[in-house]
Amino acid sequence: MNGFTRTRYTARAQRRNKIATIGFYTLGALVMLLIFWLLFTILSKGLPALRPDFLIKQPEEMDAGGGIGPVLFNSFYILFISLLISVPIGIGAGIYMAEYAPDNAFTGALRICVESLASVPSIVFGLLGLAIFAEYFGVGLTILGGGVSLALLNLPMLARVTEEAVRAVPGEIREAGYALGMTKFHVIRKVVLPVALPAIITGVCLVAGRAFGESAVIILTAGLSTSGEMWDFNLFSPGETLAVHLWYVQSEAIVEDARQIADKSAAVLVFVVLLINFIFRFPLWLGNRRRGR
Amino acid sequence: MGAPVHSLTAQTQKSLEEVKVNTRRHKRHLLGNTISRYYFLFSILALCVVLGLVIVFIGKTALLLFGSVSPLDFFFSFNWTPEEDAFGAAAFIVNTLSLTALTLVIAVPISVAMAVLCAEIAPKWLTSFIRPVLDLLVGIPSIVYGYLGLTVLLPFLRRVSGEGLGDGLLAAALVLALMVLPTICRISDDAIVSVPRKYRDAAYALGSTRLQVIMRVVLPAASRGIVSAVILGMTRAIGETMAVVMVIGNTPQLAKTLFTPTSVLTSNIVMQISNVEFESTWNYSLHMMAFLLLLISFVLILIIRVLGRKRRDA
Amino acid sequence: MKVFRKLTVTALTAVIAVTAAFAGVAAAADSLKGKITVNGSTALLPLTLQAAKEFQKLHPKVKIAASGKGSVTGPQAVKKGIADIGACDWDASIDVPGFKAFEGQVANKVAVIPFATIVNKNVGVDNLTTEQLKGIYSGKITNWKEVGGADANIVVITRAFGSGTRVNYQAKALAGGDIVKKEKNYKETGSSGDMKTAVGTTPNAIGYIDLVYVTGSDIKAVKFNGVEATTDNVINGSYKIWAYGYYMTKGQPTGATKEFIEYVQSKKFQQGSLKKLKFIPIAAMQS
Repeated sequence: MNGFTRTRYTARAQRRNKIATIGFYTLGALVMLLIFWLLFTILSKGLPALRPDFLIKQPEEMDAGGGIGPVLFNSFYILFISLLISVPIGIGAGIYMAEYAPDNAFTGALRICVESLASVPSIVFGLLGLAIFAEYFGVGLTILGGGVSLALLNLPMLARVTEEAVRAVPGEIREAGYALGMTKFHVIRKVVLPVALPAIITGVCLVAGRAFGESAVIILTAGLSTSGEMWDFNLFSPGETLAVHLWYVQSEAIVEDARQIADKSAAVLVFVVLLINFIFRFPLWLGNRRRGR
Repeated sequence: MGAPVHSLTAQTQKSLEEVKVNTRRHKRHLLGNTISRYYFLFSILALCVVLGLVIVFIGKTALLLFGSVSPLDFFFSFNWTPEEDAFGAAAFIVNTLSLTALTLVIAVPISVAMAVLCAEIAPKWLTSFIRPVLDLLVGIPSIVYGYLGLTVLLPFLRRVSGEGLGDGLLAAALVLALMVLPTICRISDDAIVSVPRKYRDAAYALGSTRLQVIMRVVLPAASRGIVSAVILGMTRAIGETMAVVMVIGNTPQLAKTLFTPTSVLTSNIVMQISNVEFESTWNYSLHMMAFLLLLISFVLILIIRVLGRKRRDA
Repeated sequence: MKVFRKLTVTALTAVIAVTAAFAGVAAAADSLKGKITVNGSTALLPLTLQAAKEFQKLHPKVKIAASGKGSVTGPQAVKKGIADIGACDWDASIDVPGFKAFEGQVANKVAVIPFATIVNKNVGVDNLTTEQLKGIYSGKITNWKEVGGADANIVVITRAFGSGTRVNYQAKALAGGDIVKKEKNYKETGSSGDMKTAVGTTPNAIGYIDLVYVTGSDIKAVKFNGVEATTDNVINGSYKIWAYGYYMTKGQPTGATKEFIEYVQSKKFQQGSLKKLKFIPIAAMQS
């Protein structure tokens, strides 16, 4: 036990270590408190008043008691379309940047370009979508336009997150794969991707959450109205999403219960994001458990 | 083992078959390899097309600006009064830079500390509780942040500072810091977790305390990922609009104090782009500002990367 | 490029045709069909959405898509062919301060929109004259005591340049006077809801908004030149801060677009839903 002598130096290091640990925990507690206060403020206004029929009823313009039915459906539909486009391409591009691209100045420049794309305000992507779909193809305000524009917005972020995740996979396990005579793709599929998957899923969740709450792009490309039907799979219908509806009731709606609708919509939005995270992560968590980690 | 002699031919045949199957499988793998290669190439090209599309789309309109306004005026004049044909964007540029810096100063230490807490210090049950909660923060739409900023943060700042309005860089930076916190935190978290265990073990074996391991081994080893996380957070902060416009005051002037109602590139674009005519110098200058945002973040990212590399080499 | 574009358009039309065929099965035998896109003023949006809902019930084959991002977006979208109807808070076929006329567009009046000057509930002043408002918005009057209130700085809240509400308020309430930005106690907001929240949560604030939104206890409307802001006073001509809301179209409207505008202007809609939405029927001002 006493083969180790406590010098002044180690004593100081241990003291610092203790203080830092306490500091980290305090900070963590404060941030958690802040987040919970935030969630509480949002949910406590909305959830108690939430009735199931709010989720399926039509929005109203004049009478109180409108719902968010078609709007909620459109949210999922547009999110689905945008992920359908952006996830395969984003992950593919990320893998290319990490595994195939030569490590030269051009790749570096491309990487920075992709990163800076994230700082273009989403309204500019909205204008781009408007120019492509409404002006060039002349289809007007549609779910398709909204979904694709949203995909364009998410693509860069997704590609970068994937690239980082793939790069973080240690080189040696890759080399072990090559040594067994696996092809490059086989190594990526069987060795690299499984290891990088949790980080990629984090990225997809971040992107999906952001897309779900995005409003500026949708206002310009999918419009502020719905077709008035609950299950409208038509890609060419106008597609107001929940986040857009929230913006609308918060900023321009005349209905007397606009404030309550906004509170309830915000609560539903947050709740759905929680759900998305859960759905994406649950299989992963289960897999980890089974492997006994 | 122990196969009767008469089935020797059968066995050779079987192994021949196996070879055939193996060759087929090998071919399939090679084909898969080629196809996937083209697919990844296609993905990156698609990404480049999007990139090009955005740059051309913004740039095309933006460059029209210099037909009527001299670049010198645009970049160095502080007078933005488009009604009277004065298009000086210098104030917005300076404000954008100061807002980004202020946001990062608030957000980065907190987020990285949270990431360290999750990845290194907290017990497992706590970690698996903190992570989803942080992810939740991303999903709160920016208008909700803006609304809370308007109704909770601003009255608070007003009381603390004694200002009449409370809008300004500080309010915007606080809201933004909260918004980028999960992005920076979660991605650095992943970076820290993927630092190989043996580094830590080696450091502990030398008798380091946990703090020393974190500061001298783990953080430097994860610096590449953390830098990426900061960059992603920063670009989101630069590009965030809906929440910022609610708490910054939207007055085109240089932010002399933290509480001067002011305007940054994004908030100015969002406030005005829907209220101007397409074929007007005003609209061109707003597109130029969007282009400028791209440039600014390009340069900032470059600086961060170079700094990051220097630190690693040292 | 041209060929590609043509091909894509053909493909898209084919898809639309197929989906339309499916959608049309259930529709009643109604001859009127088409797609109407409405864009522009957010202030008119509640009216447009309500009208679209009722109109689609009458004519199930007509699809109406509506969006809004600002008054000037309306006539611009019409000009570019992105929208069939451009909702606008002013007559965009003639010059107004700040905006040139849009050539070849027809302005269809659809509603009367009254505006009100609002202040935070802690402000003691309940009447302001044109001159006082001009002074406040041009930055010459900075303290409430100069207009008969308590000794406190006035916090000016205004809409962004180009907002329909601002254009009309400047023309009617400020008699064309300027809104000048100030170093302090001055803020621009992006929508009616933001304006209401900002004035409601900021002590000593003054702003302006469509009369419809003046509800709740956080804000109150002040009298303009001694006249209370009510719909009755707008109709009897004593309250001056109001404007028409317009649907801009490229030339005279035709087909489904024409039917839709006529529906909005019809007595049934004007006296029914439009009144319930607290707009004023256009007929009330013309008689």
